[in-house]
Amino acid sequence: MLEALFGSVNRERVLMFLFVRKEGYSREISRFFKTDLSQVQKQLERLEAGGVIYSRSMGKTRVYGLNPRYPFLAQLQGLLDRALLFYPPEEKEKLTMVRKRPRRRGKPL
Amino acid sequence: MKAIASMSLGELAAFVCSHLQTHGINCVLTGGACVSIYTGNRYQSYDLDFIESAPTSRKKLKEALTKLGFVEENRYFKHVATEFFLEFPAGPLSIGSEPVRATAVMEFSTGKLVLLSPTDCVKDRLAAYYHWSDRQALGQALLVAENNEINIEEIRVWSEKEDKLATFESIKKQLIEAQRHY
Repeated sequence: MLEALFGSVNRERVLMFLFVRKEGYSREISRFFKTDLSQVQKQLERLEAGGVIYSRSMGKTRVYGLNPRYPFLAQLQGLLDRALLFYPPEEKEKLTMVRKRPRRRGKPL
Repeated sequence: MKAIASMSLGELAAFVCSHLQTHGINCVLTGGACVSIYTGNRYQSYDLDFIESAPTSRKKLKEALTKLGFVEENRYFKHVATEFFLEFPAGPLSIGSEPVRATAVMEFSTGKLVLLSPTDCVKDRLAAYYHWSDRQALGQALLVAENNEINIEEIRVWSEKEDKLATFESIKKQLIEAQRHY
């Protein structure tokens, strides 16, 4: 949807994922979109080098998110928010409807 | 000219900044290196973050720095004679969502250094505290405030724009106290 603007469909996917989910790691993003892991990693590296996203290590995993210090963050979020309106309902639901609240270990479903 | 091996952080930053300027590359020192300079190295940084005023090609930057003996390694430029290394993070020059309008200039025997003003340096550190809850960054902001004149009202206005007024109010007393020591 924003591919023409962002230059790559995977870059749009990475940004949209991080916008909606707040944080994510490369394997999680590539699995979600059923796309090549190395392509996602490449986009994450580029976006981080450009200051658009940040990363931090969490155990053995590198977690990424939109950089709150990026000067065009509000505009970028506005654009992604607008684009999300045009996503197919099922994809939008898959992206947004994820359990975030804690679940105690061993709790029966 | 002083050898790179014996240059302090400020001297090296000024040397690089002036050299790049002669190659048509205008850049501003930001980040922890500014804290080092404004606190007389009470906080020591080895990372010299320069932000270019206008985008320059990496090739042009590399050519200019190669003349000084710097070698590009990943995103950094390193020199065999010094522990300090250079990085050129992506611009624009901003603190949070606000563009940096006025910079400071310091003269060293090695050249002229363009860097963030003490007030902007404090904002830059506070941005890290506001967004990452980095207490070390808050400590650095207070150190800069202890050693330099800063504009606390300007910081309040900026914090409000960053939607962090409540956090600013919670540390305002510490900033005022730090300024008293100046």
